[in-house]
Amino acid sequence: MRESVSRIITLTRRNIKEILRDPLSLVFMIALPLLMEILFYYLFHGLTCQFEMKYLAPGIVVFSQSFLTLFAGLLIAVDRSSSFLTRLYVSKARPFEFISSYMLAMLPLTLVQSVLFFTVGGIIDSSIFSVGMVWAILISLVTSLLFISFGVLFGSVCNEKSIGGVSSIIITGQSVLSGMWFPVEGLSGGFIKVMNVLPFKNATEAVQNALSGSGDVLVPTLIVLGYTVVIFALSVFIFGKKMKAD
Amino acid sequence: MTAIETKALRKEYKETVAVKGLDLCIEEGELYSLLGVNGAGKTTTVKMLCSLTAPTGGEAYILGHSVTEEKCRVKELVDISMQETAVGRKLTVEENIEFYAKLNGQRKEEIEKTKKYVYSVFGLEKEAKKQAGKLSGGWQRKLSIALALVTKPKVLFLDEPTLGLDVIARRELWKTISALKGKMTVILTTHYMEEAEALSDRIGVMKDGELLFSGTKEEMYEKTGKSSVEDAFIEIVAGGEENA
Repeated sequence: MRESVSRIITLTRRNIKEILRDPLSLVFMIALPLLMEILFYYLFHGLTCQFEMKYLAPGIVVFSQSFLTLFAGLLIAVDRSSSFLTRLYVSKARPFEFISSYMLAMLPLTLVQSVLFFTVGGIIDSSIFSVGMVWAILISLVTSLLFISFGVLFGSVCNEKSIGGVSSIIITGQSVLSGMWFPVEGLSGGFIKVMNVLPFKNATEAVQNALSGSGDVLVPTLIVLGYTVVIFALSVFIFGKKMKAD
Repeated sequence: MTAIETKALRKEYKETVAVKGLDLCIEEGELYSLLGVNGAGKTTTVKMLCSLTAPTGGEAYILGHSVTEEKCRVKELVDISMQETAVGRKLTVEENIEFYAKLNGQRKEEIEKTKKYVYSVFGLEKEAKKQAGKLSGGWQRKLSIALALVTKPKVLFLDEPTLGLDVIARRELWKTISALKGKMTVILTTHYMEEAEALSDRIGVMKDGELLFSGTKEEMYEKTGKSSVEDAFIEIVAGGEENA
């Protein structure tokens, strides 16, 4: 058990270094969402409620998490294609330890994303500074697991070249199907039903409701967790199989 | 002592048989080259011997330990450098070595000794602070092989170690591999016949999952009537085709 924990820590440290030393990951996960938060607030607030900071900041936090899918997936796909994982598999490390390390490496990043985007949002509109912000940061850690799980799954089945295209489905899904950029009330009932069933709108709502202290947090969080558990289990299974096949 | 022994080792996939009843015996300290054209079954054999892939038939032992029943023990005894350059690209050379040593349970003092040992064998010290991804292809490959030495394996598998390297980098790497002779058992798979000729104590020739020849290069010349490993290899493989 102690050996296993030690290996997970070693692998996690390595994964964090690999991600942080890639300037593109910082641009997409930190700089771009931050720019969007500031620009969209000053350009559009007052036009629709989506651009009020109490909705915009949680939306940006969850949107920025969708890039975790891309960068977690990319790291795994590169490790697989370069046989780095095969080499590590000759050590005593097990698939569960690898997957845990990829997921754990992303958590500090998502914590930085949440704290930064909420803090900047609070500096722009101080009304969002509340106990709800701490609650929203905690809920956002839960929602991040969904996107990291997608990344582990895609990284296990895709190669280095295809991972960008496949991950963009999740990034686009989070943009279009979360209701973060436009009011959903005017949409057709069928479309809203699809949005309610998929995890994207639920992830955004869970964090928005946690921040505002109004609306349901539990049900959307449980829906997101349900998807996360299924995708995580699938990714552990596929990752294990691919490791043997590679 | 026998380092590697296989008895009727077999690997079948759904529609193909990658390795067909391989019988092999390699002594401790030998440098044994496994030659074969693409699809001969070399890499599959290496993966079975490293406990990365389970055989579908037969048995294989590393220093007396079964690759199927004593996987953990086997993994302590072997290490592998695959044909792809398998390093952490964003880690420095030093961080790569430290990472792999820690992953294999080494403590601080031992890691320092390992670094000194690896630096001395591969001359990597001057590149220690550079990110692996920014090294030249030759240095990256050296690091990739160096990482396989971090665990101080008794049996080292080098799968196409010089694939894609220029002639100077390849000759450099030959020197490094030569320096390992006698210190551990080395199994080298390669497409370069002159590499096998220069480095090997013994040579095995595989084709379509079968071992057609195993012996010294002198025995290879004697069997085929040729005077180079390349000509002898072609004779053995082409002869196999004629017999088939």
